[in-house]
Amino acid sequence: MNKKQIYPTYFTFGTLILYVVLYVLPAVMGIGYSFTDWSAYSDQLNFVGIENFKTVFSSDYNYMKMIGNTLWFTLVTTIVKNVLGLALAVLMTKQVKLLNFHRTVIYLPCILSALIVGMIFKSVLNPKIGLLNTALRAIGLDGLCQKWLTDSKIAFNSVMAVDIWKGMGYIMTIIIAGIMAISPVYYEAAAIDGGNAWHCFRYITLPLLMPTLTVTTVLNVIYGLKVFDTVYSLTNGGPGYATEVLYTGVYKEFGLGRYAVGTTLSTIMFLVMLVIGYFMIRSMAANEDVEL
Amino acid sequence: MKHRKLLSIVLSALLCLVMTTGAIAETTITYIASQDWVQDAEIELGEKFYQETGIKVDYQIVPSDQYTNLLMTKLNTNECTDIFGSQAGQFDVVTLLNVEKNALDLSNEPWAATLDPLAAAETSVNGKLYGQPVQDLSAVWAIAYNKQIFNRLNLSVPTNFAEFMAVCEAIKADGVTPIFEAVTDGWHHQLWFCEMGPAIEHLEPGTAEKLNNNTMTFADSAAAKLLVDQIKQMVDAGYWGEDYMTNEYTDAAKYIASGEYAMTVANQGFPTEINAAYPEFPAEDIGYFVIPLCDNQIMNVNPVGPTRFIWSGSPNADAAKAYLEFLARPENLQYQIDNVAKFNTLPYAGVQDKYSDELKAFYAAYPEQGTVYQTAVKYVNPQWMEIGKELVSVLLGDQTSEQFLKNIDRNRADQAVAAQDEAWK
Repeated sequence: MNKKQIYPTYFTFGTLILYVVLYVLPAVMGIGYSFTDWSAYSDQLNFVGIENFKTVFSSDYNYMKMIGNTLWFTLVTTIVKNVLGLALAVLMTKQVKLLNFHRTVIYLPCILSALIVGMIFKSVLNPKIGLLNTALRAIGLDGLCQKWLTDSKIAFNSVMAVDIWKGMGYIMTIIIAGIMAISPVYYEAAAIDGGNAWHCFRYITLPLLMPTLTVTTVLNVIYGLKVFDTVYSLTNGGPGYATEVLYTGVYKEFGLGRYAVGTTLSTIMFLVMLVIGYFMIRSMAANEDVEL
Repeated sequence: MKHRKLLSIVLSALLCLVMTTGAIAETTITYIASQDWVQDAEIELGEKFYQETGIKVDYQIVPSDQYTNLLMTKLNTNECTDIFGSQAGQFDVVTLLNVEKNALDLSNEPWAATLDPLAAAETSVNGKLYGQPVQDLSAVWAIAYNKQIFNRLNLSVPTNFAEFMAVCEAIKADGVTPIFEAVTDGWHHQLWFCEMGPAIEHLEPGTAEKLNNNTMTFADSAAAKLLVDQIKQMVDAGYWGEDYMTNEYTDAAKYIASGEYAMTVANQGFPTEINAAYPEFPAEDIGYFVIPLCDNQIMNVNPVGPTRFIWSGSPNADAAKAYLEFLARPENLQYQIDNVAKFNTLPYAGVQDKYSDELKAFYAAYPEQGTVYQTAVKYVNPQWMEIGKELVSVLLGDQTSEQFLKNIDRNRADQAVAAQDEAWK
């Protein structure tokens, strides 16, 4: 036994067993099923090699579009949520009136269920009677009115915008905690040296926030890759297949009884997350020591 | 100490009482269905059923665009409700629902003998009946039109596609949107394609049989391509209006009654429905003609509709059977016909229909009949919602009609192979 350890290794066995049974085993079984013809239409289970993977990567199907949409959703929402969350966090740590009220208002959307947010925004974005187009028309900006959720060219942007609106308050809260942890001594020193607000942000706040931003990025990426409820409630993947993401696809495959294709899609996403996760953890480890 | 003993006795007695009450508590059966499948009249009958038997019915109504996925997920994960609603059909009950595994045999129920044989055949497998039809199956999906608008513009019922387009153009020129269509719901707009099976069959006889034998695909059918192209032509000309993507079918009566739209694809309960909601609009002011795409003049019939099944894993099977028996009593069937605007009859013996002269004339006007493709062709109905999505992609210009037909063929083949269909081996 390593004498530096406070507790013996076997203390972890309980957790490990639960983790293996509840997480690792189902994941491995899922990967196994993706090499079979498992479906609701037949009781037989046959090994089919990489047939399901060929199907997923075939141009005859929409699966590549789903994977592309998922990755694009992850990229855009991660960047925008981080940027807006950071901007709001910087604002919400200044001496502004009703500070806590503002913080609460911005944070509130993230405690709402994604399904409720979806239903609300489905109504708000209705091109004929929705609040957004009605407001635009009322102030004479008819030209900006759009078919927000039914035009295949902009529907996915609308979905991402709603998700960003919902999620940025959460990111803001984490970043606020990060900013509050920065010692005011640095800012005092910068003020003595004649640094302005931009200098303080660029050379103190931002570098010291890097570990926090890494955490928010990881959270956003994991959330983005797994997105389902927002898309499902807003567009159900439509119009056509314009806003279909991987997990709405998996859900539909299971609904149609094509289990094997569903598990194949999950397997692919598992591998994508594994690769992204590996590099992120490395990046987090590198960011642990920040020098000014 | 004495008090403690007394207290423990009282508490034990209370516990026993609560447990006994729990044991004799009322049974609740759960019933999942798509929106519009459970009518107010059925819910009222459910209340009567509760008063008569103490069995409560918990109706779980799901938006139609999500229903099929949800139901199939529930069935496939063995976590279904006591009763589930689904479209039937002789092919679907086997390949999609696998009723021999997922539903209970209802052949010996007292109402089974009163069921119309044609309807019974569509919910039976190997001579065993598994489902109870919910709705009026005599109705067909045809174009319901506002006679006032037609009379005002001096228009007559079109008998081919060219005449239909001319009628739409005249209506549009008058400032009225010709056709009310609702894509949001996900289930309605594909009627323009699937209901036209008889037209395809007329132009290319034997297509359904060839499709079922896998000796032909939809992509091989020039008539099917013509049909899709004509749907797009109609939409591109603006005859579905600006808001067809966000309209909801429940608003059809409102928009037709208001005169904002002139026509919609509806079944024959629509006139009564519209009159019930807007009494100032007489039911007689709604007329019907068959969808004239591909110059069709054949009545599109479908002996299949939403159907109740009892889940084979139901712990309340007897209660569920009792509910179905209650609904199928002649007086309760008649109650539904009399109180549900869109029901003109129900497919059971011993009921009195309420067809108007107008509707009788409509049925008589099209003596030739053909079965719709979602019933006549295997693996079409299971992908109903997918067909809707594919059609939207065509309408938005994201894919061609050829691609649309190829995708339907591909989805059919996937299901057939998974089902180990002999014709696809």
